[in-house]
Amino acid sequence: MGEDLAFWWGYLTNGKHLQWYASFRFTIMAALFGGVLALTFGLLGAMALRSRFAVLRGIGTVYVSMVRGIPDVLFFLFFPLAFEQGVEWFVSMSVCGPDSTPNAGWPPCREANWLLSTPEYLTLACVSLGIIYGAFTANVINGAMRAVPRGQLEAARAFGMSDMQVLTRIHIRQMWIYALPGLSNVWMLLIKATSLLSLLQIADIVWWAGQLGSPNFLPQAGLVHGDWRWAYFIALFVFYILVTLLSERVFRRLTAWARRGMPVEA
Amino acid sequence: MDALLAIWSEIPRYGQPALFNLYFAIASLPIGFIFALGLALGRNSNNRVLRGLCSGYIYAFRGSPLFIQFFMFYSIMLALNPIWWRPMELSWLMMNPLFIGPLALVMNTAAYTAEILYGALRTVPRGELEAARAFGMSRTQVFRTVTWPNTIRIAWPAYTNEVVFLFHATALVYFTLPVINAQRDIMNTAQLMFERDYNAFLHFSVAAIWFLAISLLIFFIFGRIYERLMRHLPPDQVPARPRLRFRPKYIR
Repeated sequence: MGEDLAFWWGYLTNGKHLQWYASFRFTIMAALFGGVLALTFGLLGAMALRSRFAVLRGIGTVYVSMVRGIPDVLFFLFFPLAFEQGVEWFVSMSVCGPDSTPNAGWPPCREANWLLSTPEYLTLACVSLGIIYGAFTANVINGAMRAVPRGQLEAARAFGMSDMQVLTRIHIRQMWIYALPGLSNVWMLLIKATSLLSLLQIADIVWWAGQLGSPNFLPQAGLVHGDWRWAYFIALFVFYILVTLLSERVFRRLTAWARRGMPVEA
Repeated sequence: MDALLAIWSEIPRYGQPALFNLYFAIASLPIGFIFALGLALGRNSNNRVLRGLCSGYIYAFRGSPLFIQFFMFYSIMLALNPIWWRPMELSWLMMNPLFIGPLALVMNTAAYTAEILYGALRTVPRGELEAARAFGMSRTQVFRTVTWPNTIRIAWPAYTNEVVFLFHATALVYFTLPVINAQRDIMNTAQLMFERDYNAFLHFSVAAIWFLAISLLIFFIFGRIYERLMRHLPPDQVPARPRLRFRPKYIR
């Protein structure tokens, strides 16, 4: 029994497993920065939707409705590629000349090639998560802004506040209680989307689970273990459920905080 | 102009791949719906154990990514292959992406649909239920004449969203399961074409157009069904059916 425990402890703390545990930082960073960016894009998108100018309203509407018709994984793959190619195109304008190494396909010459590594991919992943879930957030915030009682805004205007003051002091502050249920939904979506990082060649928790669980054969020792991937993926399945559970708790707290002094029963 | 022509001429190439996405969606939706109905009724029942099991299932599958669920089901199938499927000579079916894909999608969509149906079951007007019981109807009769028609009418707009999202989720199948021969879905074809000439804007736009077109078709068909479900109401009292235009009430 003691030997077994020692074996499992040793197995679960070997170098590769420690690397697996360390790779959770990518998932957590993607969720946090992606969430902050999604909130930013969401506020901007909601402002565009509610703007006085028809062009801005049009842009906002297209931005908000695109996520309804097109899968998020397509955007998740497309934005980093498009950004990379845009930078390469920009660089190629100045770098590529008659004496540079020509290249079939893309980029136009070898010198303009931009090789991305994990930090760049992670940044781009955060931005694409922000853009995709910003569209959902914009919609939630737009609905919440409309739900703020008109009387509150009229009272603020009657006190002589300027449009900007009404927006920042009353409208946005009172909107949170109506937005929080929707924002909680979007956050859950975003957490689940962080499992896609391995599609952008980031060695994240999913990639490591696949690597660690594959049948392990060493020439000196023979077959160390068979196919254990199922155990690793069940572990990830449970991990994500626990994260959801934790997020729900946090959002319950946030709702209680946003509701203080507000005449709503949400 | 050239770019538009290039997009136009590439659209037909995705016709056959789109059939795979449609297959995954159509194969999993009916089974998922029946399973979901069972789950929703179980969650609404008075039996504590049944209620706990159903709630737990719904929570687990809504609270974890579909991407992980695909990997999980596939790896479990792989592990069971030498001990069960091969001796039973079922490997050809159990290890086939065309079976595992819908299997994982059924388990996933059942949880989301069950949540929608459960929400609808709870909002069936109490008065109608009491009236039906006062008429001396049996439990099955009450379910068939009062609970079910009300539930499906309340749940339909949200279910339309779920169907569209499930269709989008089929894009994940071939990121997780092996691609056999020419069995490629839309995203897989787009990636293959991209690796040939690195033209992300062309290939991904065409893939997006296909997804958008089929999503609009789903909204249209389900909208017509919704109109039919609501035909007893005068037209001005029918709540808006879901469209591409976003409404704040959505799930997933």
